[in-house]
Amino acid sequence: MIEPFTDVVPSFFGMLNQGPLTLTIFLHTIIILPMFWIYKQEKEKLNKK
Amino acid sequence: MANENVSVWTSIPFWRRSAAWVTGFATILLIWLTFDTIGQISMGTDADLKNGVTKRVPAPTVINYKIGYEMSKKRGHEVPTIGEKQPFFGKEWSPKEAANLLHLGKLTSQAKNCMDCHTLLGNGAYYAPDLTKAWLDPAWNSMIPMIGGMIGKELTREEAMAEFLQHPSRYPTHARKMPDLGITAREAKGLVAFLKHMSSIDTNGFPRNFSKTVDQFKAGGTNAH
Amino acid sequence: MLTSIKTNSFEGNKGKELGMMYFRVAIILFGAQLLMGLIAAIQFIVPGFLFETFDFSVARMVHINALVVWMLYAMIGSVYFMLTDETEHEGVAIGLGKLAFWVLTAAVTVVVLVFIFVQVGSGTEASIWFINEGREYLEAPRWADIGIVVVVLIFYFNVFATYMKGKKTGIMTVMVANLMALAGLYLAGMFFTDNISMDQYWWWWVIHLWVEATWEVFVGTLAAYALIKIIGAKREVVEMWLWIEVLMLFGSGILGLGHHYFWIGTPEYWWEIGALFSALEPVPLIAMFVHVLYDWGKEQGIAKAQGQTGTVANNTPALSWIVTNAFGNFLGAGIWGFFHTLPQVNIYTHGSQFTAAHGHLAFFGAYATILIGMFYMGVQYAYGVERLKSTFKSKMAIFLITFGVVGMTVALTIAGYEQVLVERAELGAGWNAFFVAQNLPWYVQAQLWRAIMGVVTFAGFVFLVLDLLTIGKEAKEAQA
Repeated sequence: MIEPFTDVVPSFFGMLNQGPLTLTIFLHTIIILPMFWIYKQEKEKLNKK
Repeated sequence: MANENVSVWTSIPFWRRSAAWVTGFATILLIWLTFDTIGQISMGTDADLKNGVTKRVPAPTVINYKIGYEMSKKRGHEVPTIGEKQPFFGKEWSPKEAANLLHLGKLTSQAKNCMDCHTLLGNGAYYAPDLTKAWLDPAWNSMIPMIGGMIGKELTREEAMAEFLQHPSRYPTHARKMPDLGITAREAKGLVAFLKHMSSIDTNGFPRNFSKTVDQFKAGGTNAH
Repeated sequence: MLTSIKTNSFEGNKGKELGMMYFRVAIILFGAQLLMGLIAAIQFIVPGFLFETFDFSVARMVHINALVVWMLYAMIGSVYFMLTDETEHEGVAIGLGKLAFWVLTAAVTVVVLVFIFVQVGSGTEASIWFINEGREYLEAPRWADIGIVVVVLIFYFNVFATYMKGKKTGIMTVMVANLMALAGLYLAGMFFTDNISMDQYWWWWVIHLWVEATWEVFVGTLAAYALIKIIGAKREVVEMWLWIEVLMLFGSGILGLGHHYFWIGTPEYWWEIGALFSALEPVPLIAMFVHVLYDWGKEQGIAKAQGQTGTVANNTPALSWIVTNAFGNFLGAGIWGFFHTLPQVNIYTHGSQFTAAHGHLAFFGAYATILIGMFYMGVQYAYGVERLKSTFKSKMAIFLITFGVVGMTVALTIAGYEQVLVERAELGAGWNAFFVAQNLPWYVQAQLWRAIMGVVTFAGFVFLVLDLLTIGKEAKEAQA
């Protein structure tokens, strides 16, 4: 599953790249997750109206 | 009291805030990645070359070394290799001289607009061959004696390349010839240094299987020069 | 379009008048782009054509620069055109904007003349400053770069100050924010480095973040404005869609930049980032497609229910081009882009005619179409025509241009396929591999078809120019 590090220079992103799709899942998740919070806030605002 | 049936999915403020968040944060991630990458693609130093430290983009003095492009088991694709010392235009270039020569070569490559016929690292126009690994191209094996024969001199690879660049239409390789761009002897030297340096850049295995026959590939062969 | 210079129907709307000035130069440069493309296409078939007088590199350089510049002109024109409508303000410094227009046009003329007559320089800094910067799409010499920055600052000041004083619609908010990014990115392409990897790293910041991020958002903004104007779409609906498009376009497009960082010396982690973000880039293009067709169908249905006969559009040629944009953007940028965006595929297709095929359909489908739509809106306004109907010439123009570009794209895709299999997969790139592939009969045939389809496109362009010159006058006469 976890592949050995192959790139020239070790780096944070290079390490995340060792697992199966872990780098892209990490990036997509931290971009999308806060939208849940935005959703909740907006829902509250709309409900109060 | 609260209106529980109202939908957030049709609310403009929700989408506006989400758009702002996603755009802003993706930009921050890109900047973070850029810092990481810039560190990795900055040119190495002469000391790195001497100590055998692998850099994605080596120092200009890489022109003093033999360069190869070999299959790496660890990486799963071909990578440039830096071998023993090798004279370039008959001498060893000091870090300063090599840097100046590369500077001249890069400037010339832009001033002569190479990129609007050729591709460099695969980017540019598609009218003429890719130059990423031009220094290692086995086509030179026949071009060097051909050019040398025509001017009555025994030439090294870099001398043959420099002669070709100065008078390209004299040595056609195809009906589609390279035009004479008024490249001087000095500029040609710079361009050859630029090409040799480019061939030493770690391009993650592009071009794949570079100019090898199947047999060479199976044997893990190389086109080192 | 030309005669409209003398008409008075602008009723003192200086912003729209300035927009039309930009449109006129844009269409001339569009013609120049096509002519240069024809020369380059012929050189693929007849290699000796204009050899050492007007080489491929020169034709190609002017071809792609005319493309970028006509689009920037049409984009600036479109912004000035919509500015007064959206902000309900007359514009703060349109006079200064006009001065900037003339400065920019003079600079573009000088740059093009130098490209055509001087062509290349010696290997010195002076060449980079005064002749040619030699970086694909950004060939304009440094002095012109600085000039462009000054002119764009004047333009941006105009837009921003007008926005601040006038009404702040959602469309205009997106426009103002996006334009700042678009203009700022140009700065990333204004430096010299000996390190070719570093060079291309920043070069892609400009090229990718323009055409796959900020320009796409620009198109979304224009489409939103045009739908309100042409078919009377509801602003709330259109603006919500616009925000969703911004979210998806920037969400996928900004890190999608990674698909240019597979092979230029950059680390391997870009494979995964570039592949999986850019694979999402077609999603907003599907959304834009659905949005345009849905709104059109909805407004048409409402009109029909109210007993109105005929089309709901008050400008059918413009709407035709905007609908073509919805298709073309998805096909050219979305599908043709996705074809070769994964590194497993791209290692073979990178730098082949595949890229050229994608480039042709994407620039046309995503940008040329909607900007031509804006030209028609300009004509309609300049002549004060209430309902502008497609003429025979309008229909010939849109049919021939679209058919020609799709034909070129198919031909180049076939050429690219040959090249990838033979030059790359079979022979492993390299000098001789390249020319073996260029000589393949099917490759040569594809290049021939590309040239023929280029001529078809040019014929369509002739109809387009004739139509833009006459349609307004004819419609006005018919109205009176």
